[in-house]
Amino acid sequence: MKIVTVGTGMAAAEFVQRLRLDGFRGEIVMCSDENFAPYSPCVIPFYLAGEPLDTVFWKGKDFYRHYRVTPRLSDPVVEVDAEKRIVRTVAGRAEAYDRLFYAAGARSWYPCPEWLETQGVFGFKTLTDMVAIDEYIKEHNIKKGVVFGGGFIGVDAALALRHRGLDMTLVHRNNRILSQMTDKEGGQFATRKLARKTGIDIRLKCTVSEIVADGGQLAAVKLSDNSMIETRLLIVAIGISPNSEPLCGHDKGVPVDRQMLAGAGIYTAGDVAVTPHAVTGETGIYATYPNAMQQARTAARHLLHGDGQYAGSVNTNVLKKHIDFPIVSAGSFTGETVTWQQGDIWRRVYLEDDMINGYIIIGDTRISGYIYQLYLSRKKVDSTIKKVLSAPRHDAYYRHMLGCGQEP
Amino acid sequence: MKRIFVDYKKCLACKACETACAVEHHPSGNLYAALGDRKTQVNVRVLGIEHEAFPLSCRHCDPADCLNACPSGAICRDPESGAVVLDASLCKACAMCAMVCPFDAISFKQTHRSCYNRDVAYKCDLCNGRIKAGDEPACVSACHSGALVYTENDAARTQRASRSLRSYLLGEEVPPPLLELFRELRRKEFARRRGGL
Repeated sequence: MKIVTVGTGMAAAEFVQRLRLDGFRGEIVMCSDENFAPYSPCVIPFYLAGEPLDTVFWKGKDFYRHYRVTPRLSDPVVEVDAEKRIVRTVAGRAEAYDRLFYAAGARSWYPCPEWLETQGVFGFKTLTDMVAIDEYIKEHNIKKGVVFGGGFIGVDAALALRHRGLDMTLVHRNNRILSQMTDKEGGQFATRKLARKTGIDIRLKCTVSEIVADGGQLAAVKLSDNSMIETRLLIVAIGISPNSEPLCGHDKGVPVDRQMLAGAGIYTAGDVAVTPHAVTGETGIYATYPNAMQQARTAARHLLHGDGQYAGSVNTNVLKKHIDFPIVSAGSFTGETVTWQQGDIWRRVYLEDDMINGYIIIGDTRISGYIYQLYLSRKKVDSTIKKVLSAPRHDAYYRHMLGCGQEP
Repeated sequence: MKRIFVDYKKCLACKACETACAVEHHPSGNLYAALGDRKTQVNVRVLGIEHEAFPLSCRHCDPADCLNACPSGAICRDPESGAVVLDASLCKACAMCAMVCPFDAISFKQTHRSCYNRDVAYKCDLCNGRIKAGDEPACVSACHSGALVYTENDAARTQRASRSLRSYLLGEEVPPPLLELFRELRRKEFARRRGGL
C-alpha cells in the first residue's frame, strides 16, 4: 500500500510516525510547498526571538530519512483526483496513492494581497515567513515593527519580535487583543496588563488602511484613525484560511467523519479539518496542536487496524510565550459568570446547567488544568466553583480529594 | 513500572523531600549551593491543607495529557523507567502542558536547565537517572516517616484497593501510636487556630 500525505505539518508528521511505530512498512510520500523537515508552528516564533533553528524540528531534523519517507518538497499540491487516486502538483508531478492523508494546513489571509509585493511586509505563519523576516531584519537593521492583527498569531509575533529587541506596535480592530480567546472584560484586563508588562504600543479599534512604500520598500503604514507610523516592517496576521481548495474546491475546510475520513481512502486532519467539538458537538476548525495530534492518531489507527474513533476537538488554548503572563481559555463564553481577581490574576468561569461552559484564566496557569478537567468531564460545580477559583494556595483539587479543610 | 506512592496520613510536613529534591537537581549537588539560589528547582511541594499535609509532584500518568499536548517535542516517556521527562533545551515554556495537567505538577521559571536565559517548564523527573541505576528517587530516600514509598505500580494499587475494602468492612486501620498522637495534636492545633483562640 502506498500512502501520500499532502502537508508535512504536525498532523502529517504525527500520522507518519504513528504508522511507522505501528509497523507499517509500505511506501510513504510526503508533499509540501515548503522545503523543510516537519517543524512545529508553535515553536517557530522562537527562531525569530533568537533561538536556534534546529529546535523547531520537533520530531528531528532527519525525519524523512528516519521514518523512510520520500519527501516531495517546494512543490504545492493543486489538485486531488479522488477518482483516479492521484495528487497533482504545480510542477506537473502526478503522485498516485492508495490512501491519502490530507493535512494541508492553513495559510495567512491578507486583506490586500498586493501589499506583499512591497519589501518589508510579511505574513507570520510558516517557517519560510520566519526565515524571510529574520533575514530582512538582519539585512536592514530593523529596530521597530508593526503587527496588524491582535489575535493569537499577531500577539505571538509582537512578543517574539519584542523579545528580539524591536519596538513593537500592535494594531487590532477589536476593543481588546485575543478577542476570540477572551470575553470583553477578561480581554481588556489582559490587554492592559500585557501593554504595561511589555511596553508594546497597542492600538485598538483600528486597522492598517494603507501602506506607504519608498522605492519598493515599506516606509510607513497609515491607520484607519488617520495616524501614520513610520516603519520598515509590517507583519500581517489578521486571519487564516484553510488550504482545502485542492480537495474540495473551496476554502471552508474539509468535513470529516469520526474516523477522520473525508472520502474513500482520504483521511484528513489538522488546521484544514472540520470536526465536531468534544463538548458541544458544534462542527468547526479547531486549529490547535493537541486536536491535530489526536486526529492524526485516529486516522493512523483506523488505517492500520480499522477501528477507533475521534472523540472530538476542544477549543482550548494558552498564550504564554516570551513572557510569564499566561492567558488560558476554553469553551464558550455564555451563561452565568463566576469571577475572581487578585493582582495580576483574573479568573472567570461560565456556568450553564451547573456545569462549566467556558473559562478564562489570566496571569497564572495554576488550577487551569483542574478547571480544564472539570470542563471536559461535565462535572456539576455550581456549589464549589467559587472556592476553586479563589482557593488561596490554588489547592482546590487536593482539598476536594482529601475531603478536609472545607469551610464549616 | 515503579511509581512514588503517598500515604498522606504519615506525612509530618518536615519537607525533607523538598530539600532532597532541590539538592538532587542542583548542578552542585550541595545543599548550601542550592539555598538562596533563584534557579534552584524543587519538583515536589508539600502542601498543607488544614491539619493534613501532602507531598505532591508529577504522577507520571499513562497516557499523560502533558506529553500529548507538548508541541515542541520537549516531553517524552522513558521507555525503560516509564517516567515522563522534560527536556528543557526543547521547552518553549508555552504552557500547553500546564493547561491540561489536572495536578498542577508543572511550574515555570528560569532553572539551571534553561538554555536561553528564560523560563522553562519544570516538573518531577522521577529522578530518572537514579532509578535507572537501581536507586530510589531522592525524595523517597529522604522521607523518614514512610509517607513516600517507591514501589511497583500495579501491585501497590491492588494492595491498596483490597486494604481499603478490608478497612471498609472491618473498620479503620489504626496508625502507629506515636503517629496517631502527632496527628491528634495537629488536629487540635488547627481547630484552635480556626477558633481564633
